[in-house]
Amino acid sequence: MRNFFLSFWLLISSSNIFSQGVDESLIKMRQRIDSVNSFQVNLQLETDISFVNMPVKRAVMQWEKGKPVQFTSKDFILLPKKGLDFSLSSLFEYPFVTLVRGITTQQGQTIKEMNVIPADRRADFSIATLWINTSLRRVESAEISTNKDGIYFLQMHYRLPTDFFPDRVEVKFEIEKIKIPLNFMGKGTRVDKEKMKADGMKSGKIFLNMSDYIIRKIGG
Amino acid sequence: MKSLLFAECFKLFRQSKTYYAVASLLIIEGIILISAYFEGTNIINILLDNLRKTFYLKGNLLNGNLLQYLVLNTLWFHLPLIIMIVVSGMLTAEYKDKTVQTIFLQPVRKWKWILSKYIIAVGFTAFIVGLLFITSYWLCNVFFGKGDLVVYLDGLSFFSAKDASNRIQWAFLAGTISMVFFAVSSLTIAVILKDVTKTWIVCALFLIICNVLLKIDLGTDWLNQFSFFKLNDTWQYFFQYDIPYSRIWLNWLISLFYIITIASVGIIIFQKRDIG
Repeated sequence: MRNFFLSFWLLISSSNIFSQGVDESLIKMRQRIDSVNSFQVNLQLETDISFVNMPVKRAVMQWEKGKPVQFTSKDFILLPKKGLDFSLSSLFEYPFVTLVRGITTQQGQTIKEMNVIPADRRADFSIATLWINTSLRRVESAEISTNKDGIYFLQMHYRLPTDFFPDRVEVKFEIEKIKIPLNFMGKGTRVDKEKMKADGMKSGKIFLNMSDYIIRKIGG
Repeated sequence: MKSLLFAECFKLFRQSKTYYAVASLLIIEGIILISAYFEGTNIINILLDNLRKTFYLKGNLLNGNLLQYLVLNTLWFHLPLIIMIVVSGMLTAEYKDKTVQTIFLQPVRKWKWILSKYIIAVGFTAFIVGLLFITSYWLCNVFFGKGDLVVYLDGLSFFSAKDASNRIQWAFLAGTISMVFFAVSSLTIAVILKDVTKTWIVCALFLIICNVLLKIDLGTDWLNQFSFFKLNDTWQYFFQYDIPYSRIWLNWLISLFYIITIASVGIIIFQKRDIG
């Protein structure tokens, strides 16, 4: 009898989730972003990973609706797998449902926290949490749990309330540390990678500073 | 003194073994370069394996700077061996051919004569390292192009192409000081032993011991800092993200102290010993 009620409750609660479909705030935010056809921006990348030393790198990023993001740089650059797609279009590539977790007020702005749950196995993430500024119709932060590449946390910073895209993004992620012997390079030493991975996971950050956006809107 | 230096220089570049040594070093450099090129991809894959899970990597790391760094890594064993053979041969050949006795039939001061050999040994070492720097720089950059350098020293460090090139130049300079140390040591060993074969064996033994002890932690900072075999790794400091200049200068001063002391010991022994 207890199991029957538990199953019934699960059925009811899950039907509630899916009956929500896609939240209106998310639809409005997407409509705003969908009005942009393409953009180009100068990118400055700062890396903050305990075992990686890297100078500030520069690149030019180009995005066009329906196409993957393109980068050009004279330097060697590390680009986070999540966080550069400001439109978050990869989250909405396949059917999904949303589940509103709560609404808070931050500095006079209404922030809606919601889960985006993919309804298609082809999606490359298992769940995402978005914090959407409902009045400005833009994402303030996001946490994306990918199927293969770990969890990414994105914090967007905007210069103006009217800005479409952020001028600074902080991407936080988890990364495995590998220890390699000092004399490894050029000495032909064999490396036991599994043994070296014993140090576990480390968290890292990458800061993306954007400048000189060139935004082309549909019909613009 | 000037004529003695000229005579030593003339003898060094007159003998065929000097050219054999230069040719063998260039062949070694070529082999290292080819193996580094084929090994380079594997090295980069291992170094960047975990970064690939989180990042897209854009740019070419298998470039001239990485190959020159790999050449630097493997050069510091083969190079002193050949330098020691040539430099010690500058004296042992004179003993073998008995030309040393002929020279001192003329009014030549013993200390000046042996000092000129030390000076030419230092010059020859600098010339060889300079030649290897120029050839490796040219080969690496012409065939593989410039690019950022990735190095693993207590973490992954990325250097921009220009910065990497500067660091490599300084590393060659640091390597020159280590090579001078070995060259001067080999000449002093030659002064003590006189015999060609015995000198070569002891020089090879000295080099092997230095290389083995380089990797051993001596337990105290003082010993690790002042032991002569530990100083031969100074060039690696230029590939730390924040270059420890004070440590490098101290290492160079200590190296200079060892070089002058070892050369002085050789000159004193030669001065006091009878020719024959």
